[in-house]
Amino acid sequence: MSLLKINDLKCHYLTDIDTVKAVDGISFEIEDGEILGIVGESGSGKTTVALGIMGLLPENTAISGEILYRDELISSLPESGMDRFRWKDIAIVFQNSLEVLNPVMKVGVQVTEPMIKHLDLSPYKARSKCADLFRTVGLDPKWVDSYPHQLSGGMRQRVLLAMALSCDPKLLILDEVTSALDAFTRKEIRDLLVDLQKKNGYTMLMISHDITFVSSVASRIAVMYSGRVVETGPVRDILVSPRHPYTRGLVHSTPDIFVYKDLWGIPGDVPAGNEFKGCPFSPRCTQKIDICSKASPVLMPVGGGREIACHRGGIAGLLEAKNLNFSYRLPDGEYLQAVDNVSLEVREGEVLAIVGQTGSGKSTLAHILANVIRPESGEVLFMDGNVSGGNYGNRFNGIQIVFQDPFSSTSNRFTVLDAVKEPLYINKIGSNGDRLQMVKNALELVRLPNTDNFLQKYCGELSGGQRQRVALARAMVMEPKLLIADEITSALDVSTSANVLRLLKGLQNRRGFAMIYISHDLSLTLKIADRIAVMDSGKIVETGNSHDVMLSPSDEYTKRLVGSRIGLCCHTH
Amino acid sequence: MVKDRNSFILRLLSTLFVILAINFFLPRMMPGDPFSTTSADEVGEEIIVMTEEQRLYYLNYYGLDRPLHEQFLGYMKNLMKGDLGRSIYYKMPVRDVIMLHLPWTVLIVVGATIISTISGVVLGTLSAKNRKKGSDRLMMMGMISFAEIPSFLLGLILLLVFSVHLRLFPLAGAVTPFADYNGPAEQAWDILYHASLPIVTLSLSQLTGVYLLTRNTLITVTTKDYIRTARAKGLGENTVWIRHALRNALLPVVTRTGFMIGIMMGGVVLVESVFSYPGIGMTLRSAVVGRDYPLIQGILLVIAVSILICNLLVDKIYGKLDPRVVI
Ligand SMILES: Nc1ncnc2c1ncn2[C@@H]1O[C@H](COP(=O)(O)OP(=O)(O)OP(=O)(O)O)[C@@H](O)[C@H]1O
Ligand code: SF4
Ligand SMILES: [Mg+2]
Repeated sequence: MSLLKINDLKCHYLTDIDTVKAVDGISFEIEDGEILGIVGESGSGKTTVALGIMGLLPENTAISGEILYRDELISSLPESGMDRFRWKDIAIVFQNSLEVLNPVMKVGVQVTEPMIKHLDLSPYKARSKCADLFRTVGLDPKWVDSYPHQLSGGMRQRVLLAMALSCDPKLLILDEVTSALDAFTRKEIRDLLVDLQKKNGYTMLMISHDITFVSSVASRIAVMYSGRVVETGPVRDILVSPRHPYTRGLVHSTPDIFVYKDLWGIPGDVPAGNEFKGCPFSPRCTQKIDICSKASPVLMPVGGGREIACHRGGIAGLLEAKNLNFSYRLPDGEYLQAVDNVSLEVREGEVLAIVGQTGSGKSTLAHILANVIRPESGEVLFMDGNVSGGNYGNRFNGIQIVFQDPFSSTSNRFTVLDAVKEPLYINKIGSNGDRLQMVKNALELVRLPNTDNFLQKYCGELSGGQRQRVALARAMVMEPKLLIADEITSALDVSTSANVLRLLKGLQNRRGFAMIYISHDLSLTLKIADRIAVMDSGKIVETGNSHDVMLSPSDEYTKRLVGSRIGLCCHTH
Repeated sequence: MVKDRNSFILRLLSTLFVILAINFFLPRMMPGDPFSTTSADEVGEEIIVMTEEQRLYYLNYYGLDRPLHEQFLGYMKNLMKGDLGRSIYYKMPVRDVIMLHLPWTVLIVVGATIISTISGVVLGTLSAKNRKKGSDRLMMMGMISFAEIPSFLLGLILLLVFSVHLRLFPLAGAVTPFADYNGPAEQAWDILYHASLPIVTLSLSQLTGVYLLTRNTLITVTTKDYIRTARAKGLGENTVWIRHALRNALLPVVTRTGFMIGIMMGGVVLVESVFSYPGIGMTLRSAVVGRDYPLIQGILLVIAVSILICNLLVDKIYGKLDPRVVI
């Protein structure tokens, strides 16, 4: 029997202006003794769920659905009926704010109050228990007679915790208990909670936007987005391989998980209109299909105790390479196996970095993937169709590649306009007028001027950085789903290459295309990659989340690669 | 702290000085003087018309013919000694006249303060609890339109209905004349009986203010996070409302009580006149009619000082109620 069960809960705030669907049909269960975490961005409705469980939503809320506590329906109880459960069975630690405690009452009184009411303790007994509770949460009992404004934020948080524990609740709801605290206090509170849970076996519902904190305590996680649960599952699995595009964005924009990567938030906003019917994530989703804006997906089990709400069953694969082989014939008649039985997968919207020393076969692999050369054996599937057959290089929303050497991709004798327009011209896309506009847009994207003056410049007159941007614009004009960037910064000086890289990552983040980023420079790679594949003499020797590969390389070669970098870096591991 | 205290005292003294100056000069700016009044205050009072010679004699006798600044200095000097001067009309020390009438005023003002505060808070709480329901709207409309009636008019209506027609209450005075009481209980009853209508009138004039303040503050307070916290603890509606909400909502009500006493001290002049109630309000009125400068000064001073004291008290009480205030 689950301790708490929520069935299709909806909480809509009816304001004068509009209806805020803060919680829009969520269901979950909490088993006895379990810690369930709810994570999601600010405004995703986490607090509303907590208030809904406690029966504390304001009057202007339309509530539907069921909340069962030990199989008893508590969602339809009147105030007085709800009071039977409050604090003795279900207690909550509220999101900290200055006014969450009564400003004119001593904190001790506020902690003892529920004990006197629910446990029939004498004020004297309650007071001594309050001192014990203060000690438990790491607060000096001398503070019992102070007022909330005399305490610091961290101390108030402890008082709130002591207050919630006062009647020994079965279910403890924790709403952002640590978000206002410094890292040290946060760790203390975390340890305290883990400790309490071990000793007293509290069942907890832990709400936070801090996925690292939640995952260090909870066993299961539900990811909320715009009032709905988009993914649930065991903590480890979700952190290691998030399946919903939103979860991935959340995990990837968490600094504690991606230590090296620059932080890129999830672009876009939560849909505001309340008439919106489709998947709430669709305005920000990089892999949406037609149905996404028409119907909202439901949470479906996908095995392994995980559930996902996505019409595409989670993050979709974009490109799959199977057993690719390619060898060059050397002048002495020997064959060099440049690509040796390589299989890899690129998923929608992700940045996969392929790293390896010069000559490890990265560029050859890139050329095969982009359908520039054909593999001797094996196949490449792009969006489930064969690349060579479907010729994805030559069409809109296909694969585009930008090469190492900007001087080879854009001819000196071409003007900027011609260089960028050429792929449109070759593939007969758009009228002449359209093309000009598309070129201008593409140049704007890569932060180049799109004045007539610049358009008429010859590529030979441009600097290396500008020329690489023109090459990038030439790729962007085709609006690729997958961009392969092959050492695009290696010919540039440090500051120019940093600029180009930032530009590229910014573009990727905003436009949501997937990217294969090929480089021998591990430091730069770590700044933008979600996953890393390490290549050595034609083979892929290791693949994984970039931080995993970095922190705990399993392959010898990777270790060397990582080790060679440490000298330049301030981190010590 | 010491510096604070000093500046506080300095402020108090300068306020007092300004009040004293206004008290002194304002009555003297009115046309006429104590000895040239021609109108009689009460019907049937004989009108004494003095000859010019007599008038000058009296002016000289009371020192009213000296230059104003000299008079003012003299007044201040006497005041330092605790001497408020002699009433021209009553022919006795101003202090004695005030002591004779002040208790009645204190009685009705304090009574009205207590009654209007308690009933205002109770009604305001009821209204807030039922907000958005019909009873709240009705009460609010009633209260607001009621507040539009001036207090002397209200007093007149009460007097006509309850004293003249229903004969439930006395027409005038603070006690039954020449009464012979069997013990203090009966005396107290008689005093209360006479004070009822003036107290009610004064209370009603202040009720709407307290009511609205309580209601609106409570409504704001109930949206605060700490009320939600109290609810979450399952303490029950009454505890939530009284211990948590009302306790916070009363803070501004307390502050308002300070101002309220000041306003009532002004209103008391009219109300006492309507009920011919012998407090300092009515005394002030006759002193003004008779241009009894020393008495006017004395009464205005008493009123001003009592308002100052009330505000001081309120500050102190507020500091006790709200731990966030440091005094
Ligand atoms: N009383 C209310 N009336 C109207 N809208 C509200 C009310 N309370 C919350 N909302 C709206 O409901 C949505 C969800 O709010 P909620 O507080 O549940 O978010 P949250 O996930 O807890 O966010 P945070 O991480 O910032 O605490 C928000 O868009 C918010 O503006
Ligand atoms: S693919 Fe569609 S359903 Fe899935 S997250 Fe993206 S928009 Fe939502
Ligand atoms: Mg919240």
